[in-house]
Amino acid sequence: MASAISQGTAPLHLSPSRPLRLDPRVALGMIAAGALAVIALWWQDTFFVQGLGDWLTNAGRITGLLAGYAVVVLLALMARVPALERGVGTDRLARWHAMGGRYTVCLSVAHTLLIIWGYAVAAHTGVVHETGTLLTGYADVMMATVALGLLIAVGIASARAARRRLRYETWHFVHLYTYLAIALAFSHQFATGGDFVSNLKARVLWSVLYVVVAALLVWYRLLAPVRDLVRHDLRVAGVRRETAEMVSVYVSGRNLEAMRAESGQFFRWRFLTRGLWWAANPYSLSAAPRPDLLRITVKVAGDHSAALLNLQPGTRVIAEGPSGGFTAARRRRRRVLLIGGGVGITPIRALFETIPAGTSDITLLYRANRPEDLVLKHELDELAQHRRAHVHYLVGPIKRGANDHLSAQRLRALVPDIADRDVFLCGPEAMMSVTRQSLELAGVPTRHIHSESFVF
Amino acid sequence: MKRVLLSTFGTVAGLIALLTFKSQGHPLTTTGALPSAGLPGSGSSSTPTTAPPAGGDTSGGSSSAPPPAASSSSAKAASRTVAGDAVETRYGVVQVQVTVSGNRIDNVSFLQLTAFDGRSQEINGAAAPILLQETLSAQSAHIDNVSGASYTTDGYLQSLQSALDKAGVR
Repeated sequence: MASAISQGTAPLHLSPSRPLRLDPRVALGMIAAGALAVIALWWQDTFFVQGLGDWLTNAGRITGLLAGYAVVVLLALMARVPALERGVGTDRLARWHAMGGRYTVCLSVAHTLLIIWGYAVAAHTGVVHETGTLLTGYADVMMATVALGLLIAVGIASARAARRRLRYETWHFVHLYTYLAIALAFSHQFATGGDFVSNLKARVLWSVLYVVVAALLVWYRLLAPVRDLVRHDLRVAGVRRETAEMVSVYVSGRNLEAMRAESGQFFRWRFLTRGLWWAANPYSLSAAPRPDLLRITVKVAGDHSAALLNLQPGTRVIAEGPSGGFTAARRRRRRVLLIGGGVGITPIRALFETIPAGTSDITLLYRANRPEDLVLKHELDELAQHRRAHVHYLVGPIKRGANDHLSAQRLRALVPDIADRDVFLCGPEAMMSVTRQSLELAGVPTRHIHSESFVF
Repeated sequence: MKRVLLSTFGTVAGLIALLTFKSQGHPLTTTGALPSAGLPGSGSSSTPTTAPPAGGDTSGGSSSAPPPAASSSSAKAASRTVAGDAVETRYGVVQVQVTVSGNRIDNVSFLQLTAFDGRSQEINGAAAPILLQETLSAQSAHIDNVSGASYTTDGYLQSLQSALDKAGVR
C-alpha cells in the first residue's frame, strides 16, 4: 500500500469542479462592510447627541452593537466554511480569530462601562447606584453581566502568558464558555437596545445573522463530519512506523473525491477508539488524496499521537475537513520551490506529488537536524525521479549567519532562479521565520511566499 | 503592541468622529405642530403660541425660582399665559406653557418637546396628548404617569408645576 501511494502517478484531479475560495481581502471587505452597516443602524436611529451623558451613552451603544456583531464574525471564522478554509487559510483565520477575540472582549468591557457612566450622568446619580439600577431595572441586563464575566474569564485564559501555563485541552474547554456567553448576552440586545426595541427589521436581520452563523457552525463542525463518516465509510487501513519519531496512518474510504481534499490540506482526525474519540487533532495529508485512500504522517509526541501506533485496522474515523489554504491554488508563477522541515514535510510531500509543473520546474528543499530525522525519503526520491524534479536534503545542526543551510546565500546557490519562483514553506515556527527573512533577502517578493503555520 | 495601540486609537477616534457629527445638528421636535389642549369655552383654546410667554426669559431652563407673576391679585377673569421651565430629561427637552384664569387651567401646550433619537420622538408623540388631556381633567400637576413614557412625564410635570407656581395657581 505504501508503495502504491509513493508511486505518485499522474496528478489526479479529484474535484469535479473548482472549489470556491474566498480571497482574504474579499473576506476582510465583507467583515468591514458588515461593521459599517451596524454603525449605519446606529446613525439612522440617532438624531442628536447632546451633553456628556449622551456622548457616553451613545459611545456605549456603538461599542455594544459592534461587540454583538464581532462575536458573530468570530464564530463564522471558526465555522470551518470551506470557501474560507481554502481561500483565507486556517492559520490566518485562527490569527484573525485570536486578534478579533481580544478586541471583542475590550469592546464589551467598554460598552458596559460607557453605558453605566452615561446613564449615571443623565440620571444625576452615582456610578454604583446606576449599576444597581441597570442590573435590577433593565430587562436581561443581569444575564448580559454574567456573559461579560465569562468573556473576560475566557479572555484572560486566552492571553498568551496564561495559555502557556494552561494545558491546551483545559484552555479549549474554557473557551467553550463563549457559546454560553453569547447566548446569555443575546436577549438584552433586543430588550434594551435602543436600535432594536422599536425596529422590527433590524431585529429580524440581526437574528438572521446569528441563526445563519449558528447553522454554519453546527453543519460544518458537527453534522458534516458525521455525514462523511457514513457516506465515505472512513476506516483505519494500516499504520506504519516511518522513523523512531514518525508514524503514518492510512485511512481507507469510498468516493473520497467528493470530499474535495487537495494536497497541502489537513483534516481534524477523530479516531473512534475508547481512548481517542474525544480528541480531534489536525494532521496534514502526507500524500496526495486518492478516491479510496488518505494518508497522514504524524510525529509521535503527546499521548494522543503515541496512541496512534496501536490503532487497529477497521477502526472508524471521523475526518473534519478538509481545511487549510496551503494548496497549489496559491501559486502564481510557473516555477516552484518547496521548503519543508520537521513535521512540516508532510503537506510539502503531498504538494510535491501533485503540484502541476513541467520538467525541472519544481525544487524541494528538506531541512533536518539529523539524518535519522528524514522521513519519507525514498518516496521523495522516487517522486523526484518520476517528475524530473530536484530534491536537496539540508542535514545538519543550525549554524549562524551565512553558513546556515537556510541563509539567503545558500538558498541562492542552491536555487539560482529563486527570485522568480513561488515558494511554499512549512516547518517549525523558528525555521519558518528564518527562512522567510532569507527568502526576502534573496529577492522573493512576500506575495510569492506561501506558508502554513501549525500553531493554532 | 503596535496593533493594540492602533486598534485602540482607531476605535476611539472613530467614536469621537461619529459622535461629533451627531452633535452638530438639532434635536428633533415632535413632528407636526406641537400639541396643545384647552377647555371648551375658554378664550384661548386653539392657538396658544400666539400668546407670548409671560414668564420672562425661558431659555435658561435652570433658573428655578423667578418672582411670582406680578398680576396674581388682579381681576379674576383676566387670563394669564405663563411658560414653565425647560426641563432636560435623558431623552430630550420638555417645556410647557399654561394659560390660567384664576385657579383654572384653561389651556396647556408645549413650547418645546424634543427628542434625541427616533424612539423617544415616537414615545413623545404618543404621550403628549394624553398628558395635556389629563392636566385639564385634573386641573393640576397631579396626574398619572403615562406608562412607557416615564421620563417625558417627569419632565412634563416639572415644567408644568413651575409654570403653575409662576402663575400663582394653588
